[in-house]
Amino acid sequence: MTTLYDPARILAALQPAFADLTDRFGSRIQAIEAPRPNEVYLQVQMDLVSGLCAQLYRKWQARLVSVFADDVREAAGVFHVYYVLALDAAQGFFVLRVPLTPEQGKVVSLANALPAVNWQEREIQDLFGIPLGGHPNPRRCALHDDWPEVHPLRKDFDVKTALPPFQGERHKFRKVEGEGVFQVPVGPVHAGIIEPGHFLFSVAGEPVLYLQIRLFYTHKGTEKLFENLPVSHGVRLAESISGDSSFAHATAFCHAIERASGIEAPPRARALRTVCLELERLYNHIADIGAIATDVAFVVANAHAMRLKETVLRLNGQLTGNRLLRGMACPGGVRFDWTTEQIKTISNFVRDLMPEFDSLVTLISESSSTRDRLETTGILTPKTARDLGVTGLAGRASGFNGDLRRDFPHTAYDQVQFTVPVYQEGDVLRRMQVRIDEVRQSLSIIEQVLARLPQGPVQVKVPDLHPGAVALGYVEGWRGEIFHWIRAAGPQRLARCKIKDPSLQNWPALSEAILGNIIPDFPVVNKSFNLSYSGTDR
Amino acid sequence: MNSPELFIHIVLLLGLAPLVSGCIRNWKAKLQNRRGPPVWQPYLDLEKFFRKDMVISENASWLFRAVPFVLFSSTILAGLLVPLISVAAPLSMFGGVLALVGLLALGRFFLALGGLDPGSAFGGMGSSREMTLSAIAEPALMLAVFTVAIGARSTDLSQMLMAAQGPTWKLFNPAHVLAFAALFIVLLAETGRIPVDNPATHLELTMIHEAMILEYSGRYLALIEWSASIKQLVLMALLVNIFFPVGIAPIQSSAGALGFSLACLLAKLMALGAAVVLVETTNAKLRLFRVPDLLSAAFILAALALLSTFLFQ
Repeated sequence: MTTLYDPARILAALQPAFADLTDRFGSRIQAIEAPRPNEVYLQVQMDLVSGLCAQLYRKWQARLVSVFADDVREAAGVFHVYYVLALDAAQGFFVLRVPLTPEQGKVVSLANALPAVNWQEREIQDLFGIPLGGHPNPRRCALHDDWPEVHPLRKDFDVKTALPPFQGERHKFRKVEGEGVFQVPVGPVHAGIIEPGHFLFSVAGEPVLYLQIRLFYTHKGTEKLFENLPVSHGVRLAESISGDSSFAHATAFCHAIERASGIEAPPRARALRTVCLELERLYNHIADIGAIATDVAFVVANAHAMRLKETVLRLNGQLTGNRLLRGMACPGGVRFDWTTEQIKTISNFVRDLMPEFDSLVTLISESSSTRDRLETTGILTPKTARDLGVTGLAGRASGFNGDLRRDFPHTAYDQVQFTVPVYQEGDVLRRMQVRIDEVRQSLSIIEQVLARLPQGPVQVKVPDLHPGAVALGYVEGWRGEIFHWIRAAGPQRLARCKIKDPSLQNWPALSEAILGNIIPDFPVVNKSFNLSYSGTDR
Repeated sequence: MNSPELFIHIVLLLGLAPLVSGCIRNWKAKLQNRRGPPVWQPYLDLEKFFRKDMVISENASWLFRAVPFVLFSSTILAGLLVPLISVAAPLSMFGGVLALVGLLALGRFFLALGGLDPGSAFGGMGSSREMTLSAIAEPALMLAVFTVAIGARSTDLSQMLMAAQGPTWKLFNPAHVLAFAALFIVLLAETGRIPVDNPATHLELTMIHEAMILEYSGRYLALIEWSASIKQLVLMALLVNIFFPVGIAPIQSSAGALGFSLACLLAKLMALGAAVVLVETTNAKLRLFRVPDLLSAAFILAALALLSTFLFQ
């Protein structure tokens, strides 16, 4: 075992779990690195992964939050496969690094035990061409069936390669048969102004027997694009990963860069980031509450919600020059400071929004016909949610007690008091209730941050990155946890940027939540999750 | 019935129907703090649809093409059975309430076939939902109108109106209040309003009426949309005229009396439209499997109404 960093640096709360792992698997762990106190890398062979994961899952309540690969054939002659495990209670991450030779390497699937990694493992197979063993459904995922045999995230694949017109196989959907069973295909192009995704319902009359979701129509090779951009441009690209989470993604990216270069944004910058993250949460949650009301045709509530959302967007525009908060984030802090007057505007805004939001909530909660539609609709049980690793607000409506803001305080969340709403029922009503609770928490968080806003610079210079430096950046966006993992190539270049949007994790849950519901209830169930296509497809 | 009155009746049916739809749409928007489309928007829509080319599924048969015409003519015929501004409906000698219900059912039957014909999933869904719901809505409609028919001793709508204007008529007869409530629910269902259907949605999976006509475009769509608004006008006129027979011109009356009658009709339609708007704004759509409960309630109300005509005679 080679130790590249002083194990004493590891976060105290992680020590017991770390000691347990080294006791149990000591000799088989090839290397340990702790570039940051809460981020510990363990290099192991593939056959040890399931044992380590099982131990961390069972004994330390870890969650496998990201699985991805990295092509380091040039330097080390192997692919690296990473498993990021979050220990919420210990506020730290264990990252398993598995070297795989290009010739014989094979990812041994964990999907049978952990359905949560199903799509992510298949993505590795598609994008890196590393074969997948023991997977229950090892079909194409990120790249559709008609793609030629190319693996875009390998280093020897040039991003400018022009591929011939696709002539491969069409996707074969699973057949569901029985008397009176028929299929209702919806999409990939939809009636609203939304992104593409194909939903194939198998129904018997109105009740849904099975729902197959096919995504990745908007795969844009975003992760590959990061490898060709200087870091400063990468922020702009991160903003466009998922439009409604622009600031959260950009901040997660900046967080990763800052951690890789060993600095931290100054206190005032962290405070401003916190306010922006909460503003993003505000406008999305309010819009979703309205949209859920629209989908049960309670349009008045939506009209009010849209008006409130517009006020938040205008405030965003006033504060950052962009209604979606783009252009605000930058590595080392934020781009602009706010004047005392602007700060006052936010305070007034928050004060005015509170009663308006309360009246919107009253309007909805006093409508018994709306409640009747939302309650017991689209139930995602806590067990299913746990199996699928559902995170974020959808998870919290189904018993998942986790929020990176509380468990891994980033930006200024360690300075403020708030509670994390958790419900067990997992229906549409509870997913809306989580949003309502979180809007109230957000308003309070903004008030607390503004009340104790630190003075000082809002930006520090980011030193050059060490080639080979790795870091995990994380942010709790409004939808759930966002992870950006980077490996630096040069002072201002990245060799790999892995993006994990909560949508990728939560989409499969929709197929489970809709089972047994009737087909006209699908839109409202879908809206209650409101997952991003773009963030999933990248 | 002479030809000028027939002419006026048809013009009213064709010309007034889009306005009623437009008013409801506009008022709904106003209640939601939106500006909303102008009340004459449905006319512009119709004009646009008539100008546009049609896209017709290659799987569609002749039936698909026949549906708009059958629907349109059956709806117009149904409209000619209902007195609008004169107690004498142009076609009243041919049939009464039963013919009205039958003609509306004929139109619906063909519309459902039109939804099924191109073989798209949404059309079939819409057709099956529409037929399921109408199986309960139709009896409720018939029972409710029979309540009034028993009082008038005729199923002919003109006869019913004349009886309504007679001296023995009581406006707030309990039987009539119940029947009116039943018919109001039927009106919401038949015209695809919240809480039964949402005419403004873009979500195909939740649609009923709109799902059936998704495959239609251009002139055919115009005919179907126009029929839908005529059907709405006919049902609304039926409701206001048989329960509130105020100001309707008697047979062979002067132009002045007809004008007054028209003003009364417009006022009553506006009041009823406002009621529809209020219901649509304050309610969410019912879960699809709850709609039969609502329609059963309408049926029970109508049955009670029928019963009480005998009790309170």
